[in-house]
Amino acid sequence: MKPFGILAAASALLATTALQGAAFAQSGPIKVGVVTPLSGTYTPIGQQVRWGLELAAKDINAAGGIAGRQITLIFEDEEANPAVAVQKAEKLFQVEKVDFLTGTVNSGSTLAVAQLAERNNRLAATTVSFADSITGDKCSPNMFRVNARAEQQSVALAAWLEKEKPKSKVFYLGPDYEMGRSTVAAFKTNAEKSGAQSMGEVFAPLDSKDYTQYFGQIRAARPQVVYTSVAGNDTVRLLTQLQDFGMLSNLTVVGASGTVTSQNIGAIGAAAEGFATGVGYSTQIDTPANKKFVEAFRAANKADPDLYGADSYGLLFAYKASVEKADSTDTDKVRDALRGLTWKTPQGEKTIRAGDHQAMQPMYVVRVNKGKFDIVTSVPADKAIGPDACTRF
Amino acid sequence: MLDRLAISMRASHVLAILLLAAALCLAALGAALDDSFYLRLGTEALIFAGLALSVDLLLGYSGALSLGQALYFGIGAYVSALTLMTVPSFWLAMAAAGLATLVAATIGGLIANRVRGVYFALITFGMAQVVAKVVYNTRELGASDGMIGIPVVQIQFGPFAISAGNPVGFFLIVLAIIMGLYGLSAYLLETPFGRVLTALKANERRVPFLGYSVWRARMAVYVFAGLVAGLSGALYPVLRGFVSPELMFFATSGNAVISVILGGVGTLIGAIYGAVLLVILKSIIGSWTEHHLIVIGLLFMLCVMFLPKGLVGFSRPWIERRIVRVPSQEVTASAVSPAIAKSRSAS
Repeated sequence: MKPFGILAAASALLATTALQGAAFAQSGPIKVGVVTPLSGTYTPIGQQVRWGLELAAKDINAAGGIAGRQITLIFEDEEANPAVAVQKAEKLFQVEKVDFLTGTVNSGSTLAVAQLAERNNRLAATTVSFADSITGDKCSPNMFRVNARAEQQSVALAAWLEKEKPKSKVFYLGPDYEMGRSTVAAFKTNAEKSGAQSMGEVFAPLDSKDYTQYFGQIRAARPQVVYTSVAGNDTVRLLTQLQDFGMLSNLTVVGASGTVTSQNIGAIGAAAEGFATGVGYSTQIDTPANKKFVEAFRAANKADPDLYGADSYGLLFAYKASVEKADSTDTDKVRDALRGLTWKTPQGEKTIRAGDHQAMQPMYVVRVNKGKFDIVTSVPADKAIGPDACTRF
Repeated sequence: MLDRLAISMRASHVLAILLLAAALCLAALGAALDDSFYLRLGTEALIFAGLALSVDLLLGYSGALSLGQALYFGIGAYVSALTLMTVPSFWLAMAAAGLATLVAATIGGLIANRVRGVYFALITFGMAQVVAKVVYNTRELGASDGMIGIPVVQIQFGPFAISAGNPVGFFLIVLAIIMGLYGLSAYLLETPFGRVLTALKANERRVPFLGYSVWRARMAVYVFAGLVAGLSGALYPVLRGFVSPELMFFATSGNAVISVILGGVGTLIGAIYGAVLLVILKSIIGSWTEHHLIVIGLLFMLCVMFLPKGLVGFSRPWIERRIVRVPSQEVTASAVSPAIAKSRSAS
């Protein structure tokens, strides 16, 4: 295609300026840029990203840094807006001359920053965005993802469902917007692959007050399992209304990882009991590495780490391992080193798949028991990863 | 003899020439230092200045507050992005975006101009939200993720071509386009049509008695403002290589309104100054503290309290007095700045 020739010429032009910067920064501290939401709706996520990275930088610096060089983190507020994220990322790449970039939360920002990283010939990674496209059809040679993508969550959950309730009849209830529909579609594919039978699906508007209008349809379908990807206060209303109508008996409710969280579990109360979901991290992971991490995280931030904090913490260790393996911070060498890299994190061992830059990691199914999440099973990394859909490299 | 309006418009032109000179200095400095970030930030500031200009056309001249001007900015950006991904031609993308916003603004104008005042503000806000939500949920338009992969195009000028990836070159092109839109707006406001608009803002009920159609004038300025926003928006994907539904959200419209109030309502050039200032402030303060929204909010409040006419509204009377002192026949837009310099050294 014609546009790519121009693109290549432009990126080559940018690359020459970027290389001058890289050569200049070969000594002194290694700069890692963090473009993450520090204001607005996503602040709690940005906060976890920040805490995770700061703790990792402290640990790495105390142990002698990366190949003897200290890590410096430079934060910028992306306001969960791709237009702001790109501007800030460009500042970090061109003015601060960072060696590596991370922190983007919403998928739009991550995709736009990936393209920017390509045009600046630098590397970036996300620890939060879970849209499959980032390491799928819109994958970029300059973007890596160390957290679990949506597919891994649904694969893990479907695998657990197959064991728990083989060949079950499943009904899907999602919020009526693009993300809601794609999460339902993704889980439906995986559930059907593992033998579940789809009984029907319905999409309710965001912020619905009354879910009982869909209950007739659900009851008529006689499902054993209801999958939902509604979030926040919508979950509170959906689950309590299901309970009020006595529909929760003999029904297993499963959902996306954001459906029941520490923020709404109190309001849902007993109706949340038995809810199961697939996640990449839980503070309950019973390994010495995780116990040490949780303890250090609590001591530093007076809060528990969540998956964002844990994934961000792990990222810097991957970067450290790859820079030391490449013996350089040069983009091409570090990219080669990151491909296929296996490293240790509090969540267990992770491996970056060379074909699409997606980290493979063990997945956990957690279920609400007496008002808090318990790990009920784990799915090994290679079982949860799903096919490599990236065709660009 | 120059009347009040013509004098204040000339004073705006003086400030426009100052801005142009400052921008050219920045471009030269940027080229000399081989900078790209600040030039590209400046380019983005100018693009959002185009959006602010379109808000000021409505708010400052027909007196209608639009809270959804980002709608046309976003339509321009998306149409330009889609065109560039099919045919990488800058001028074709601009033409397509212009045409699309012309159609969209006509439809939007037919709806919004049925009401006025606060209802106009609400309807424009509502229309922008509806379209933004539709784009947010349309998979063919990239849904919430937006669209990436817009190529860096070559911008053709007859036998010459400048790459949109060249920071200085593209900065100058955007500067020329935005200042061109400013010039066109200023010209339109000096025509009899512009006078009808001014009369409309002053007293809408008297305009029909003078034989002019209120609706036609409001409609014309609404469509023109939509076009200005759309053409500015069309430049965005060329600069950043992506579009996202956030470009249509209220935050974008709101920032444009803040820019206009900061710079001075009804001054045209004030909108451009305000937008440039806001983008630069956000970038600098944002790197300095995560509480940048508080700082910008405070600055905005201080501005409203102590400079209610905005920065340009505050400084313009000073220039106006000097224009009046110079014999009016000699004053032309291009000769104004030496005349000012002379009168300044004389005083």
